[in-house]
Amino acid sequence: MNFSIFLQILWTGIAVSSYVVLFSVAFSLILKVVKIWNFAQAGLMCIAFYAMYVGFNYWALPKPLSFLLGYLLTLGASWLLHHFGIEKLRQRNSTSLTFFIFTLVLSEMMTYVFALAFGTEPLSLTKSIMSPVHMVGGIVISEWDIQALAMTSVVLVLLHVFMNRTKLGQFMSAAADNPSLARLYGINVPRLHVYAFAVAALLMTLGMYLFGQKVSMIPNTPLQMMLFAVIATLLGGMGNVFGAAWAAVALSLLQALSIFVIPSQWQSLILYVFLFVTILFFPQGFSVQKLMAWIGGKKA
Amino acid sequence: MNFSKRKLLGLMTGVAAVVSMAGTNLAFAQSGEPIKFGLAMPMTGSQALFGTDQVKAAQWAVADINAKGGVNGRPLEMILIDTQADPQLGINAAKRLTSVDKVPIFLTSWSAVVKAVAPIANREKVLELSVGANSPEIATLGDYVYTTFPLADVDVSALANYTYASLGKKTAAVLYINNDSGVEGAGIYKSVFEKAGGKVVAYEAYDAKATEFTGAILKVKAANPDIIHIQGLITDLPQVIAQMRQLGITQRVSTYSAGYNPKVIEQLGAAAEGLIVTSLAPGVNDNPNVAPFVNRWLTTEKRVPNGLPYTQYLYDSPYIVADLYKWLAKNKLPATGENLRRALITIKDFDLPMTGMLQVGADHRVKKPVYLLTVEKGAFVPLATIK
Repeated sequence: MNFSIFLQILWTGIAVSSYVVLFSVAFSLILKVVKIWNFAQAGLMCIAFYAMYVGFNYWALPKPLSFLLGYLLTLGASWLLHHFGIEKLRQRNSTSLTFFIFTLVLSEMMTYVFALAFGTEPLSLTKSIMSPVHMVGGIVISEWDIQALAMTSVVLVLLHVFMNRTKLGQFMSAAADNPSLARLYGINVPRLHVYAFAVAALLMTLGMYLFGQKVSMIPNTPLQMMLFAVIATLLGGMGNVFGAAWAAVALSLLQALSIFVIPSQWQSLILYVFLFVTILFFPQGFSVQKLMAWIGGKKA
Repeated sequence: MNFSKRKLLGLMTGVAAVVSMAGTNLAFAQSGEPIKFGLAMPMTGSQALFGTDQVKAAQWAVADINAKGGVNGRPLEMILIDTQADPQLGINAAKRLTSVDKVPIFLTSWSAVVKAVAPIANREKVLELSVGANSPEIATLGDYVYTTFPLADVDVSALANYTYASLGKKTAAVLYINNDSGVEGAGIYKSVFEKAGGKVVAYEAYDAKATEFTGAILKVKAANPDIIHIQGLITDLPQVIAQMRQLGITQRVSTYSAGYNPKVIEQLGAAAEGLIVTSLAPGVNDNPNVAPFVNRWLTTEKRVPNGLPYTQYLYDSPYIVADLYKWLAKNKLPATGENLRRALITIKDFDLPMTGMLQVGADHRVKKPVYLLTVEKGAFVPLATIK
């Protein structure tokens, strides 16, 4: 293995992390603002994908319109989930376990419905999964890589601006930190939850748009991808949306670069190792400061 | 008048009796006690793409057999249970078929399922016929487990030998999915290729759930083989080849029968050119029954079946069941798993409509010609037939 191979794996790892970042940020945002572990995200990702698939392949819509179709349907489903599911459970003072079971079962049900509707044939958004490539300094860079990184970067910058510089974003952060106090200040917390779902729906739709042009999926693929989002959220710190993004990039790179030290069939094991380590040692998330403090404590 | 009425009544009764007897005889041919057998296949789940088409082929065969009078006037009845290609669900299916439906014979597929249900078949003395699964281990699963489909060592061995001897490739790389089918098939390819005189310069596995294969592919690229053999599934094969081509790997690629699917060409486009696949069933030029079979698909389903060779084998399977029952009837033996097994071993040679001659060996294996195809100008064309 030489340096050019290292650079290639590094580049591809970063490019592929684009859609996992989007899924992780969506999951983390809902956890931060709505305060639930939204495992129904897998079902919403299915809706986004299959809506775009129908738009592209059945109705021959141009890509932007198909994307819009995917987003609107995902947004609609998210609203229904929030209004008829989450809010109802919240009004009954349901426990975290109830929310967890509800969202997980909903995802499984949606997966089953899509399997009935579309079968279990592996489908990609576009008929071809090939993407033109360019050689840059000995590294193969595909047009999909460029598109994925550009779109993800732009969306994350916009999200950062939204969360920190707009009134709505700041209200969301306030409601996330202290919903009771936010209500006292006249902030409509349930409406903020809907806005959080709207943003998450956009992230999910974009993620599935990128994913679906590179890989074929079957209805239960999003459920398998949720593991990544959960680990990134835990690792990035619960309530830290951009921490989840960085964690997703780090995990993706670690998984890709692990080929240098472990056989390729064990690469997925990395995720499970990180899940256990995070839950056991960093349940509130990982940070360099905490790591240094822990090491310092050990030495003392 | 009364006498005429009585005579007329008697005549009418007599006619009615004759007609009803004739009708009963006719009806008996169609509604005699049905011959039940089980079919445990993935109807849902990730493998349903192939499973549902294979089930349809078997259903057509049952309908065709019954339309011709069934088996000695008795209709075949297939009891279908979903396995999702999952071993645990396969076990549930086998238990249901043997304990509740009490069938003396059942068909199943997917190597992991075939292996999982084998103990039930052996314990209950119910004949298990594996159709489409290719793990070489199937030949050693017990007295009541037989394959009617050539195992991986047949087509993968033929491909490995052909690659070295006829294509002249001296070095090969093997990429395989990390599951039963991938591990065993890859091992067979490596062993046969090296025995033929070649050298396997890279041997890399990838996780069944992976969507990114850069690391394994770059290891293969670094080894610079003459040819690359992929032992994967239809769910991952196009992605692996796409990423290989995008990373600049131009060597020819071969795979086994899982790659013989029009979807591969559709998703890869020009990147599929030169791909070599195997088929264990005769094509339209090799068997006159295949073209009408394909037309039946195009007419009823508006498409070709997913995994045409597998659907051919599944179409033939009810004919094997029918032949076994005919043997039992001829020898006046009851329909038990033990007797059906005896029938299978005794008959040995079956002339089947879609796949031709099949000989079931005492070693629980079958031998069939291997058909090699390659992608040329966007379509699969015959490359070689290895007998």
